[in-house]
Amino acid sequence: MQRTPVFIICSPRPLVGKTLTARLLCEFLLLKHSTVAAFDINLKEPSLLEYLPAITETAEVDDTFGKMALMDRVIVNDGIAKVIDLGFHAFDEFFKMSEEIGFMKEAARRGVAPVILFVADTDRASARGYGMLTQQIPANALVTVDNELVVLGELPAAMDNGRVIRISALPVFLKTYISRLTFSFTDYLRGEKDSSTELHQWIRRNYSSFRDLELTLILQQP
Amino acid sequence: MVKPVVIVVGADKGGVGKTTVSRTLLDYFSANNVPTRAFDTESPRGTLKRFHPDITEIVDMTSTSDQMKIFDTLNSASPSVTVIDVRAGLLSPALASLRDIGFLDAARGGQITFAVFHILGPSIASLDEIAETANFMIGAKYFLVKNFINNTSFFEWDQATYNSYFRRIKDATELTIPKLNEMAYEQVEVASVPFLKFVANKGVHDETENYSFVLRGYVRHWLANVWSEFDRIKLTDLVGAGQSGARVSGEK
Repeated sequence: MQRTPVFIICSPRPLVGKTLTARLLCEFLLLKHSTVAAFDINLKEPSLLEYLPAITETAEVDDTFGKMALMDRVIVNDGIAKVIDLGFHAFDEFFKMSEEIGFMKEAARRGVAPVILFVADTDRASARGYGMLTQQIPANALVTVDNELVVLGELPAAMDNGRVIRISALPVFLKTYISRLTFSFTDYLRGEKDSSTELHQWIRRNYSSFRDLELTLILQQP
Repeated sequence: MVKPVVIVVGADKGGVGKTTVSRTLLDYFSANNVPTRAFDTESPRGTLKRFHPDITEIVDMTSTSDQMKIFDTLNSASPSVTVIDVRAGLLSPALASLRDIGFLDAARGGQITFAVFHILGPSIASLDEIAETANFMIGAKYFLVKNFINNTSFFEWDQATYNSYFRRIKDATELTIPKLNEMAYEQVEVASVPFLKFVANKGVHDETENYSFVLRGYVRHWLANVWSEFDRIKLTDLVGAGQSGARVSGEK
């Protein structure tokens, strides 16, 4: 049976590229499957909701109502991939709740495949957060995102053991360009005739990484 | 032959979680395949009966006929374990009645296994009950239950007060019931089913329900913590069942 993926993009640190990763992933899933449901728990940082309002809804994990509203939606094997952009302020609470309610175990039982995309940084909070995730999340469901702009090529060795997705750094002018709220990665691929541009290749590289990740998920299916 | 086991759950104060603890006990025995019957003394309308109607009978502990119904059937009744949820304010009188009918002597003589789960509230008055109740406890297993379901504290911040009560009775065993998420607790209340059924997403008549996955998760986690406390005090050994290898954990 086909399992529904739930991608949780997280870090205990602000401004490490969670929303950028979420945007890329959402647009890739939209391109490939025409459908994706995104949840933004990241309202204290640049927000996914502002970039992809048509597919994103806000969520929160501060109280039980919010947790129910989010998790009861996410735990359904409905064939629609889910992307959660988890803000740094909600990192501890989300995974504490996830542990308490047995999210990973229940997800496996219901045909849902959670994948935790941990956006790495070199500070202590990230090391602690990653350590906590390795205790809670099976190794095949934990992926490190190595954002070159953040870790500057020095991904901590502890985070380099499992699966790693690398996002290379863009020049400042391109970073500014893709940060515009109206910018769409897929629209750029479709509109830009010259496939040799740096941005074109950057987007394709990242989409390829996500395609590989999806293939891994399919191969892992029981 | 297995000795009959009587477990009294009570407190002289209301709202401290007597019925909640009784419900976790019934779920625990059910999961460990220990046949159990229960008596609810909240006559005429019992809360425990609402959650476990099949095995619970409402009785008036002060009436002789109902006392006969409970204690004269201890040897003949097929479930070996009897749980009695004593309503607020009746614990001391109930224990006095048990002494008067010779039940406590039988427990002391080893004919019956008798245990009291004394649910404590966070007040000096509630703690004073410990001394009062302790007078009846010779020959019984006495459990002092600190119920955190109301987010309370038990004078741990004042060691002198704490020790003066909790260390007063040498043979008493302390037990901690952790806090359950308020919404999860309320949802189980609304569903009127045992905690185990709620975790298993089942309704009153075993029909599949649509309870929140999050709330079921909280209940499952909490119930596991409560049961680990029961395991710690070797409750199944106490009732002569031993630790069950394949415990039913609710959700299949």
